[in-house]
Amino acid sequence: MTEAVALEVNGVRRHLQVDTRTRLLDVLRDVFEVSSVRDGCGVGVCGACTVLVDGTAVSSCLALAALCDGSTVCTAESLGALGDGDPVVRAFVDARAFQCGYCTPGIVVALRGLLDARPSPSRAELESWLSGHLCRCGSYARIVDAAERAAGSSSGENAR
Amino acid sequence: MLHCRIVRSPVPHARIAGTDLAAARAAPGVHAVVTGDDIRRRGGAALRFGPVLHDQPVLALDVVRYAGEPVAAVVAETVEAAEEAAAAVEIDYEPLPAVFDACAAIADGAPRLFDAAPEVDPSFVDVTVHGDLAHNVCSRFRVVHGDAERALDRADHVFEHRFRSPAAQHVPLETHACVAAWQGDRHLTVHSGTQTPFILRAQLAAMFAIPCSQVRVVVPAIGGGFGAKAYATIEPLAALLARTTRRPVRLHLTREEEFLTVTKHAMDVTLRTGVTRDGMLVARHAVGLYNAGAYAVISPRKIIFGGYGINGPYAVPAAFHEMLAVYTNTPPAGAYRGFAINQCAWAYESQMDIIAHALGMDPYELRMRNLLQDGDAFCTGEVMGGMHFAELLDRVASASGYRTRQRSDDGDVARGVGLSCVIEGTITPSTSTAVVKLDADGSVSVVTGSVELGQGAHKALGAIAASELGVARSVVSVAEVDTDVSPYDQQTTASRTVSTMGRAVAMACADVAGQLVALGAPMLDTSLEVVAEDGRVQVKQDPARSVDYAEVVRRAGVGNVLGRGSVRTEGGLDPDTGQGVASDHWHQSAAAAEVEVDRRTGRVRLVSYRGAVYAGRVVDPDGAALQCEGSLAFGVGNALMEEMVFDDGQLVNGTLADYMLPSLADLPADRSFEVLADPEPGAEAHGLGEPLLPPVAPAIANAVFDAVGVRLHDLPLSAERVLRALRGPGDQATADPR
Repeated sequence: MTEAVALEVNGVRRHLQVDTRTRLLDVLRDVFEVSSVRDGCGVGVCGACTVLVDGTAVSSCLALAALCDGSTVCTAESLGALGDGDPVVRAFVDARAFQCGYCTPGIVVALRGLLDARPSPSRAELESWLSGHLCRCGSYARIVDAAERAAGSSSGENAR
Repeated sequence: MLHCRIVRSPVPHARIAGTDLAAARAAPGVHAVVTGDDIRRRGGAALRFGPVLHDQPVLALDVVRYAGEPVAAVVAETVEAAEEAAAAVEIDYEPLPAVFDACAAIADGAPRLFDAAPEVDPSFVDVTVHGDLAHNVCSRFRVVHGDAERALDRADHVFEHRFRSPAAQHVPLETHACVAAWQGDRHLTVHSGTQTPFILRAQLAAMFAIPCSQVRVVVPAIGGGFGAKAYATIEPLAALLARTTRRPVRLHLTREEEFLTVTKHAMDVTLRTGVTRDGMLVARHAVGLYNAGAYAVISPRKIIFGGYGINGPYAVPAAFHEMLAVYTNTPPAGAYRGFAINQCAWAYESQMDIIAHALGMDPYELRMRNLLQDGDAFCTGEVMGGMHFAELLDRVASASGYRTRQRSDDGDVARGVGLSCVIEGTITPSTSTAVVKLDADGSVSVVTGSVELGQGAHKALGAIAASELGVARSVVSVAEVDTDVSPYDQQTTASRTVSTMGRAVAMACADVAGQLVALGAPMLDTSLEVVAEDGRVQVKQDPARSVDYAEVVRRAGVGNVLGRGSVRTEGGLDPDTGQGVASDHWHQSAAAAEVEVDRRTGRVRLVSYRGAVYAGRVVDPDGAALQCEGSLAFGVGNALMEEMVFDDGQLVNGTLADYMLPSLADLPADRSFEVLADPEPGAEAHGLGEPLLPPVAPAIANAVFDAVGVRLHDLPLSAERVLRALRGPGDQATADPR
């Protein structure tokens, strides 16, 4: 069974016929060729598939594409190039807050979503927000540091 | 490109009685449905693979040996089409008696996994296979040093304890993935997330009986490895299917499949350790079983590491260590970060504390009294040098406030501190070769077969080249691994890359420098000594007279300067006695962990952690810090929460919703690491990917004992296990009455 779906991903709009069982994750990877969105666990635990759907962080492995008609999706690709992109991306690069980098886009996107909604989170809030992302390489300390840095630069000097 | 989905055995041990593939073959979008039988009938490819023993079928042949074993494969236009067709494959199984536990598997009368001895691959020169298939023994390794029995007889005290580690998962966040494509019938290209491109190439070449030069393995930066991606895993199947369908075939495992592909060895060891009444270790007798699962993979080498590793970082004059790798009807166990040593350290570092408490000694003192020093003999007979254990233990003890700690206990929640100290070796002998290419604009390419899996290998190798040649890091690039172009490297495992490949890269740089001098000296018109330093070929005594590298290359008209480096480390152990040289250099680390134990729930919380590791020359300080952090996170998982749970051979917790992994909330805010560096300019660089991992679990266990007086012998230290131990009988120690 298929469903007509209009999706805008990173500014590119498409009209698709999707099987009702197809995950948003698969549409993003296979149709929109977005490779930063990753299937790390398939059960919504690891966070590597995190994208922003209409501004809200969502596990795309648990979202059905057929239920996303009319949505705007933002992935790490939309956050700009490493050198001059989004402050979150820059913070992660500057802090070298990654090892293999596989979990990184999901975390960066989730942070972007958080900071858009809540510009001045405390460190405790950041840690709580990020505790749903698994990093097997164990870069957690730097990830939180980078998040703090990004939160600081996103909301200006007197942020916290 | 076509996509593959695998049909897996639902039962742990069975004869394949029949297959009905008609419906699957007729399903929309399907190009092929293949079984082991098809491969056998078609011919043209080996039926089995394996790095050391060719015992693992590409697709099961006649018999399945573990629940999850690949039995059939569907190739289709899309993953979804392949999945639909896979569901339509019908296979009849006649269940056979199965065995899951290594102890049960070696017993007389246990179900046998193999009748015929598999072919042994000769390329693993450090490994000799001593199998006993009648008892499901894949291989056996012994270390015999002095007369352990006699020494135990004469010891003041003998402590005997059994320790167990469960099967676990690596969980690289990127699961196994590869694309295989043939050009004609005789050239194969495989893009794979492998840690061992050259071994994989050799395995595939042998499988299809084509020259290695006709097999190309390309490896981009990969999403974690931790040993899971060593040796051929999914590539033989993908290559076979690509050949059958004459199309490129992609195979990317789901996380659930990852659980069924490769694991960490469950291990069960009994240590008998003899000590004098004042705490000198005099002998160790160890018998350990490594549960290899259904196929050997690298188990024959693992038990070598375990055989000497069980000694610990201590001077023990007499040793008898026997390690067996045992086949069972569970998913195959493979290489794992910490390679055999996690399980050993869990045992011996737990026992050291038991011994200390029994003798009324401080665990720190007991260790200091026995730690290996330069000039001591190891259980392999080799004389140890470059030993830093005492300093490492001292550092963590000081940093954690161990000696002056106040134990806190309010009746419900208690705190304690525990120590550990671990020795680990690296694959010996081993070989790494490198090419460094200097181009006409002065930029540099480092070309090696070392895989970037997140450990920062490429960053480190690039840093070495920049430093050796005296050029800016920004002009150095490290090439993608491609066996068509990269010179040979044995494998990216065992924390050997920064050390062994690092040396090869340095050699290649020295070769480039030598050639630059030969080409550039005539341009300087001098009879004085000329050197290549800091990006310029210059007169040593008058550096202003110089030509930069780019100009040398251009004016000489050579296009580029190619330097080569080749390093082969020496050593190896006698296959019967385990005597010889186990390791080219030694990984050394120590830890102090402070925990809080809640008696009401059994929950163990890591409050603070101090780690220390010997690094030799630190090539990438940032990378080193990341390895420290990463090893702690990994270790917390293994210590407190990770285990594969089986019920009659069925994996019960095969998803990340059921198999617990640490999140950032599980790490203590209070943690620090000391990376002990050797200030000598020519000091050897040591890899740091593994050494900091094995100390984590025993340090935590020792801290739990310090806090609440409970000693667990099995991992993980889950709340349930701690609670049961708090409520049940205490320590299982048996000290000899002498």
